[in-house]
Amino acid sequence: MKTQSLTQSMSWLHTWVGLVFGWLLFAIFLTGTLAVFDKEIDVWMRPEAPAHKVDQTKAAQRAMAYLQARYGDASAWNIGLPTERSPDLTISSGEQRRGGPRQYLDPATGEPVAVRDTAGGGHFFRFHFTLNMPRNIGIWLVGFAAIGMLVALFSSLIIHKKFFKEFFTFRPGKGQRSWLDAHNATGVLVLPFHLMITYTGLVIFSLIYMPAAVDALFDGDRQAAFGRGQHEHRGVADVAAVTPAQLTAIGPVLAEAERVMGEIGSLSVSNPGRSDARIEARPVLGNRIELTKGKSMVFDGVSGAVIRQPESNSGAILSQRVIAGLHFAQFGGYPMRWLYFLCSFASCAMIATGLVLFTVKRRRRHDAEGPIAARLYHVAERLNVAVIAGLGLACVGYLWANRLLPVELSGRGGVEVRVFFAIWLLSLVHACCRPYIQAWREQLGLAALMCLLLPLLSSMTLENPWAESIRLYVELTAIACGALWAFCAWRTGQSKARVAPRRQSQTVAQVQ
Amino acid sequence: MKTQVFSWSALSRIIAAIFAGYLFTYAFTAALAQLLPGEPRAAMTIATWPAFVVYPLVILWAFACARVRLVWSGLLVASAALLLIGFWPQLMRAW
Repeated sequence: MKTQSLTQSMSWLHTWVGLVFGWLLFAIFLTGTLAVFDKEIDVWMRPEAPAHKVDQTKAAQRAMAYLQARYGDASAWNIGLPTERSPDLTISSGEQRRGGPRQYLDPATGEPVAVRDTAGGGHFFRFHFTLNMPRNIGIWLVGFAAIGMLVALFSSLIIHKKFFKEFFTFRPGKGQRSWLDAHNATGVLVLPFHLMITYTGLVIFSLIYMPAAVDALFDGDRQAAFGRGQHEHRGVADVAAVTPAQLTAIGPVLAEAERVMGEIGSLSVSNPGRSDARIEARPVLGNRIELTKGKSMVFDGVSGAVIRQPESNSGAILSQRVIAGLHFAQFGGYPMRWLYFLCSFASCAMIATGLVLFTVKRRRRHDAEGPIAARLYHVAERLNVAVIAGLGLACVGYLWANRLLPVELSGRGGVEVRVFFAIWLLSLVHACCRPYIQAWREQLGLAALMCLLLPLLSSMTLENPWAESIRLYVELTAIACGALWAFCAWRTGQSKARVAPRRQSQTVAQVQ
Repeated sequence: MKTQVFSWSALSRIIAAIFAGYLFTYAFTAALAQLLPGEPRAAMTIATWPAFVVYPLVILWAFACARVRLVWSGLLVASAALLLIGFWPQLMRAW
């Protein structure tokens, strides 16, 4: 490496960083793409939840009437309100995190409905940043991969100084050249998105990844750094003054909270039925450009007066929340979500074409580089199939599991997640057993078929599958993905005709 | 032509890029946090943002630099200097 030029050393770095982190990055980006619509997938995976457009005040009143009747003596109530992205009305009693299980209510009648247990769209969201590993290991791995992504992106800028010219170069049907062009086009087209989404993703966990400033300014004391413990909100009420008291009407409370914070996502009531009752309202994530997680407003439960306004962030903290909000598509509603989905899809395509390019480029010189290199390229080819086609298969298989597993199965959500990983593992076994091109075709083809048949599966397993239009849109999106995969499978079959003779002649040459 | 897949200098370079690169970024962030004026919480937040650009750039430099020894010595000396600035108050107290 001593006498290499800058371009050469950067392209060496780009290739190997891309290969080492490519598979992990593809998995992170694909699940992240799906997580853009996590709430919608969630609604799809709970088909029993009724779909009525009920305004939030009525829904909240019904939920509180139900809680009053069933859990009148509970220390706290929690209510998840129907929102633009999810029509579900949910309740639970007890403290937020340790409280009872979440129940679904019909927002039109206030009666409980039995909803299947599912891991929901949250599975993609959790996998996206934890890889389902014990929490911090996954977060660190994802962070490391994100740095790898930035290294690959920066190095590509140095390699392709004339990248705008290359963006307009596309030579389809030319094997390796086409893969390179597709990789460059998807790379350049959404380059600002690649950079933004990777950088903002790192900033969300910035103090976990880079605690230097906490160590330098606060001696590593995280409590002090986050300003916790300075203002405890749960004021100790005068015990003698507590008497039974009627809760205030929820309508005006909701209206005021909505005026201040935008669309409200959830309510908690502490000490219901007592004079020290408190109502806490939290906005939905996603009505402001800044990340509104943790923001809330507290009302007196009896008089309805505002006790605490939401914390107004300023300067650095606000900027931090805006950067994090950018990662979550926290603004602009559905058009922005679709833009994120499509850009993110392009990121997946860039990573996938890069990985395929690596193996296509080297297929010709397998034998020239010795047995270890040949073995490495062979493993890379198989992993490409299992990660790119296999993960897609696992994702759609996860949706199928939601419809096919018996509704009364205990621990059903966990079983769905296990099905996801089992299918992924099987795809690796399949990729190792079958001839390379065949493995690609079969896995892409099966994933395409499962996507295209998703509406049929729904209509066969459910009575009224499209009562909620969100479910229909999820299936239409699945059909679009299925069509794309079918096209990929078909193209793979076509290129086989060109690739196969070369491979044969190679083996013949080897034998001779 | 046989291309070399593995070499000791490449391994040394990779370790320098990952670990010494992280150390440098850590020191850079600590120094920046210490030097930024204003409220500590704000300084902490702002000083951490550049870290995720500095680290990848340092990794690029580690691979672009012609001599591996320069990568190691450059990163370690710069880190030591920046750590001195970043943890100046703690050092003074320990004195």
